[in-house]
Amino acid sequence: MSLPPVLRASVTPPELELIACQELVEIIPLIPMEKTAFIAGAYGPLRPPHRARIPIWMALNLKQKKKCHIIAPDWLSVEYLEAKIKDETTQTQFTELPFHFAEISRVLLDGATDDLQNPDKLRTLLQDLREARQAKARAGLQNLEHSSLRLSNLSAMEINEIRPFFIQAMAVLKQLHVPPK
Amino acid sequence: MVYLPLPDQASASKPSYAEAYANILKAHRQSPLTSAASVIILVAPDVDALCASRMLADLLKQDDVMYRIIPVSGVSELEKVRDELAMVSELHTLILLNMGAILDLPSEEWFGGFSTQMSVHVIDSARPQNLSSLFGGGEAGDRIVVWDDGSADKLEQERKAWEALTYEPLPDSDDEDSDLDSDEEPIRDDDDEEEYEQTTGKRRSLGEGDRSSGKRQRVDRERPRRMTRDDYDMYSARLEKHYMGGTWHGQSAAGTIYILATILERVDNELLWLAILGLTFQYTTSRISRDTYDIYHSAFRDEVFRLNPPPPTGENAMLSMNPDDLSVRATDELRFMLFRHWTLYDAMLHSGYVAGKLGIWKERGRKRLTGLLAKMGFSLLQTQQPYSHMDLDLKKTLVQKLNDVAPLYGLVELAYPSFIRCFGYRSQPLSAADAVEGISALLDVAEGIKLEVEVEGARNGGEWFGGGKIWEATSSMRDNSRRKREERGEYSTRITKLRESLTLSMTVHRKIIDQGTSIIDRRDIRTMRNHRVVILTQGRASRPLLASRETAITTRSKRKSLPFVVACLNESTQSYLVVGVMAALDFGDVRKNEFGLAFLDAKERCNARTRHGSFDTSVLEINQEDLKVFLETLCEGADA
Repeated sequence: MSLPPVLRASVTPPELELIACQELVEIIPLIPMEKTAFIAGAYGPLRPPHRARIPIWMALNLKQKKKCHIIAPDWLSVEYLEAKIKDETTQTQFTELPFHFAEISRVLLDGATDDLQNPDKLRTLLQDLREARQAKARAGLQNLEHSSLRLSNLSAMEINEIRPFFIQAMAVLKQLHVPPK
Repeated sequence: MVYLPLPDQASASKPSYAEAYANILKAHRQSPLTSAASVIILVAPDVDALCASRMLADLLKQDDVMYRIIPVSGVSELEKVRDELAMVSELHTLILLNMGAILDLPSEEWFGGFSTQMSVHVIDSARPQNLSSLFGGGEAGDRIVVWDDGSADKLEQERKAWEALTYEPLPDSDDEDSDLDSDEEPIRDDDDEEEYEQTTGKRRSLGEGDRSSGKRQRVDRERPRRMTRDDYDMYSARLEKHYMGGTWHGQSAAGTIYILATILERVDNELLWLAILGLTFQYTTSRISRDTYDIYHSAFRDEVFRLNPPPPTGENAMLSMNPDDLSVRATDELRFMLFRHWTLYDAMLHSGYVAGKLGIWKERGRKRLTGLLAKMGFSLLQTQQPYSHMDLDLKKTLVQKLNDVAPLYGLVELAYPSFIRCFGYRSQPLSAADAVEGISALLDVAEGIKLEVEVEGARNGGEWFGGGKIWEATSSMRDNSRRKREERGEYSTRITKLRESLTLSMTVHRKIIDQGTSIIDRRDIRTMRNHRVVILTQGRASRPLLASRETAITTRSKRKSLPFVVACLNESTQSYLVVGVMAALDFGDVRKNEFGLAFLDAKERCNARTRHGSFDTSVLEINQEDLKVFLETLCEGADA
């Protein structure tokens, strides 16, 4: 491989953010734009004040130039996250969350703070959520066996954190495993 | 050529800021050779220009225009930059911030020789402006766009006079004809010296203009209508009055860009804060009067209320409400130097106004200061505490008590309305005046001066701070200092660095006061007829702004209000830096600075070797040997 050793282990978080930014988000544009073709697809037309769905990378770019307002996705609100935290702390399974929730919330909190309600409360809730799930992931890893590992509803960032570890651990376990005759 | 009136006076035929900006964008998008060097912004080394450059950079970035910012320290460096820029073929927009208003830009010496596709925008607060830049027409003149604040509209008389003198043939009478024919050069030069003496470049260029009109006269001798001698005198007198009245300042560059942003409907808190910094800088350095400040302030106040949520009242008025709180709030500011970061006693001691009025250099003066504080009900212990540790009720009543008690000591107008900005939880809210002080300290000093930075708290024997630190910045070459100036631009928003710069600023102020005190103590001030002169040979304060601040303080120290001249020796270059400051009676009263002309006058007469280091015409570098003669001529000149 041509990647430097540091990057060979797994995907880096900034790369994950880039992948996550491909998701669509709703905006209120402030400038009109015709349907334009980009590499990833054609988006538009933008007709203020009607809403439109465009990828997050484009929304952030427009936001920086003050040409749109971003509308937060449904799950990025105080009530939804509080409910999820309650579920998370009561069940042993992981609750269902959008696959890229960590990256998208990070990117929106940095780039579109004024479009979100109560950003600092959101930050604390997201932090709580992450810690709860991390505890569960650690507990779940104790069930590691040589052939398979089942952890449902993990998000992209969490998988990325675990991946280097459990690939190596599973390889070792496989070597140690003696198949029953 | 063009001067742009304020947007509310603009109409379809008279373009204003928005159209000029649209032209910049159009040129950028249409030009096939567009690259990063197509739009170049030249920035003078003062806080106002720095803020204006940040605002302009933000606006251009939002419009996806590539630009380059080049800091320029003075007229000589501007000449060098201009020569470099002449090589750049893809340059189509040049923006000068706080420089160039007085220069004759359409002339060959400056930008006359550049391509016609290029345009030069001048956004400068210095007045008076060069008439040929404002009114000049033709190919060379059309390139120059001066962003004005409405004062050029009032120059109708001057416009007529200038046009008459430039375009119309000069009057001839019989003896003058022969004189003109044979000895054209000397007479022209005489005229030039009387009328157009501002900078050497300008003088030469206007001389050319006159010479060309003289040639025209020789060519079409048959033209029936000529100016009479009286007309000529009248016009010349008019122009003389325009240029000889001294220098003053108009609208700040940051304020001009803010108006542009308002028309484009793209204002936000960042731009507002930078505009406020530009205005505060103009006020605290006595470039504008209190009345002018109040006018602009009320406009900004409305903007602050429009763009920010209403501030909390009571206990939390000076605290950020949440970590994302970046709002700007209106508040009252006291005229003490950085008083929220120091002890109150220190702040009053180091503020020029208070120091001058109370006579801080003497022991008696310091006693008066403590007396004043005691009368207001502040115990000595309280005032020696860092401001943040003072009792809350004392802080609340501070402004009130000052207004009551200070007039007894001759200190009036100590408070003025200003703004503070919150930075979330990263730092305490910072006031505009403090931010301006910090940035100017960085601009002036953090290049080549050895200073001792006293860490706050060391004096009271704070356990966790050690002694002072020696802050030594090695002297830097031109490229290095340029880079540092570019970094300054970021400091206005990076609050952590800005706080560090406040410490630096406090040290600078201490040094200035020490120096000033020692000067007065040693009675080094000699009164030479109309001016007071001080000559420093220790060479510590080797930056123009520092020197001018020293003069400002020592000026106020004397009861008589005479103009003041300070000369500092710079050993490395074997030259003296001479700064002239007008005497201002009160803080709010700002007089036009006539030193620019006086210096040029004196220099002429004694043939001294001088150099203008910065854009301020009242600062001059002169060779060591020529100093004495120069000073004498200066004082004689004032009489004449």
